[in-house]
Amino acid sequence: MATVQEKLITPITGGASEGPRNKVTVVGVGQVGMACAISILLRELPDELALVDVVEDRLKGEMMDLQHGSLFLKTPKIIADADYAVTAGSRIVIVTAGVRQQEGESRLNLVQRNVNIFKHIIPQIVKHSPNCILVVVSNPVDIMTYVTWKLSGLPKHRVIGSGCNLDSARFRYLMAEKLSVHPTSFHGWILGEHGDSSVPVWSGANVAGVNLQTLNPDIGTDQDKEGWKETHKMVVDSAYEVIKLKGYTNWAIGMSVADLTESLTKNLSRIHPVSTMVKGMYGINEDVYLSLPCVLNNSGVSSVINMTLNAEEVAKLKKSADTLWGIQKDLKDL
Amino acid sequence: MATVKDKLIREVNPGEPVVAGAKVTIVGVGQVGMACAISILQSNIADNVTLIDVMEDKLMGEVMDLQHGSLFLKSTITAAKDYSETADSKLCIITAGVRQKEGESRLNLVQRNVEVFKHIIPNLAKYSPDAILLVVSNPVDILTYVSWKLSGFPSHRVMGSGTNLDTARFRFLIGEKLKINSSSVHGYIIGEHGDSSVPVWSETNVAGVSLQSLNPYLDTENDPEEWKQIHKQVVDSAYEVIKLKGYTSWAIGLSVSTLAQSILKNLRIVHPVSYLIKDLHGIKEEVFLSLPCVLGSSGVCGIIKQSLKESETARLKKSSETLWAIQKDLKL
Repeated sequence: MATVQEKLITPITGGASEGPRNKVTVVGVGQVGMACAISILLRELPDELALVDVVEDRLKGEMMDLQHGSLFLKTPKIIADADYAVTAGSRIVIVTAGVRQQEGESRLNLVQRNVNIFKHIIPQIVKHSPNCILVVVSNPVDIMTYVTWKLSGLPKHRVIGSGCNLDSARFRYLMAEKLSVHPTSFHGWILGEHGDSSVPVWSGANVAGVNLQTLNPDIGTDQDKEGWKETHKMVVDSAYEVIKLKGYTNWAIGMSVADLTESLTKNLSRIHPVSTMVKGMYGINEDVYLSLPCVLNNSGVSSVINMTLNAEEVAKLKKSADTLWGIQKDLKDL
Repeated sequence: MATVKDKLIREVNPGEPVVAGAKVTIVGVGQVGMACAISILQSNIADNVTLIDVMEDKLMGEVMDLQHGSLFLKSTITAAKDYSETADSKLCIITAGVRQKEGESRLNLVQRNVEVFKHIIPNLAKYSPDAILLVVSNPVDILTYVSWKLSGFPSHRVMGSGTNLDTARFRFLIGEKLKINSSSVHGYIIGEHGDSSVPVWSETNVAGVSLQSLNPYLDTENDPEEWKQIHKQVVDSAYEVIKLKGYTSWAIGLSVSTLAQSILKNLRIVHPVSYLIKDLHGIKEEVFLSLPCVLGSSGVCGIIKQSLKESETARLKKSSETLWAIQKDLKL
């Protein structure tokens, strides 16, 4: 007896459609991974979304919860599995997996523990999606992006760290609030190492092209009577603040990763402050990843903007590079 | 000495803190409340989203996290320290409430939630007397009734998320079986949100072709294709997801966002939501059950009069009796 489907539908193409063209994989279904997933889905970017994690119950639950919202989304296929075969054919793979720092743990130890996890994850991703672009979010992001690059064997332009994308977004929000304009109308960049030693490039901060440092030459210094330097400190403290209040951060990082993903999948060539391989720039001779303004399109990092940095800013980048290399050189099994 | 701001900007008309045009208040910043918030924000349907909760640190943390993403949004986000900051909302979404304790009777759970709502609802009503209330907290049909009573609002401005999500799951599962996008599968689950919801198989169709006309045994136990299983899967969905990840959030958040969109933009889209069903389908009690409703800026603009089978109407009547049995003993 013919099924309802057979009676209802006359097949034309008679088989499965071609594979996905804009498949996105998110590795890690913790709070950050899921915030990335829901933000990417709401922007209608992928035609297929895959989730991977080791905790199978939670993974299946998250997949089902997203699938149940299919009516309200434009991503027709949402899949999940602990087996990386589910990620095959991805254009973009977002890595949010990793362990958190334990109390009293050294950064080197945290990194080595995460290296051991990434040794399992990264080769499998590349095996199933050899042409993908990897976006690393796990912390410490600059080091983990280096680790990912080494473990993947991919060309450096296809391995990106979320880096200072979020720091810059927070900076633009906080500065814009003080000036009573929308964040998109305040232009400012935070570069270098993601975290405490990030570099706010005050010389480039502007609204409608009007350079704020021209209006206040002391801006960003300790001599500044208006105390604008405080805003950068607020950016650095942001994550700790939010973690103290709600236990973790996820929405802002999720939205910022979706923004990067949009530039990559839609070939936009927009400029984002993301972590890229900076060897050979600003006098840096080691294989380190730091955030610089990168032009992102469907090839990954297609080019880097040559920021005019003052001597102090360049010195900070070099110092970060030395710190990062100090940790990276002792990592085992890369 | 002139500040950077003074030198940069010539003030013309700074704009008082004018109430945003389309303001949405969300009560409760748990997983459901935040999923509603992120869906509404990233869909660009509200000018302002105000969040309120009794847990102050969590509230501040969640709002801060959202505000840090302002670069990517076109709405402002506010943490309300008290209900006065929820004033002039067009839509208030209530996700707050207590969860069922092990072995707790439904009546007891409801009475505990009534105490919580006694604090929330009158405050929302006081500061946003013209707002539409959308209740999500469970048991949603009863709590929507409670909200209606406590608010004193006309019934068309009080609705519950009801079977909006059940219907979305229903359409998704049928879509999977037919290999068609869920938006091209038309069908409604009505009545009580939960175990005794009613799938209206008789009017379920694709491109106007009734599925039951192709398989008359669709809603029976004798169906070799086991279509009836789909409704069971819908009912079990929430339990499944809760068992696997501890709670559900994304689907309900997305479904609430589409309701919000219809209301704020006066779209008059038909959604199955929990509404006062008295005097429809032979129901005499003041209960709220889900039916396909036309939603617009005034709230529930109309109800679609489905031709239900006797078995379907009987189930609605049974639900209303069960709900009334609990409602009549509530101390409001």
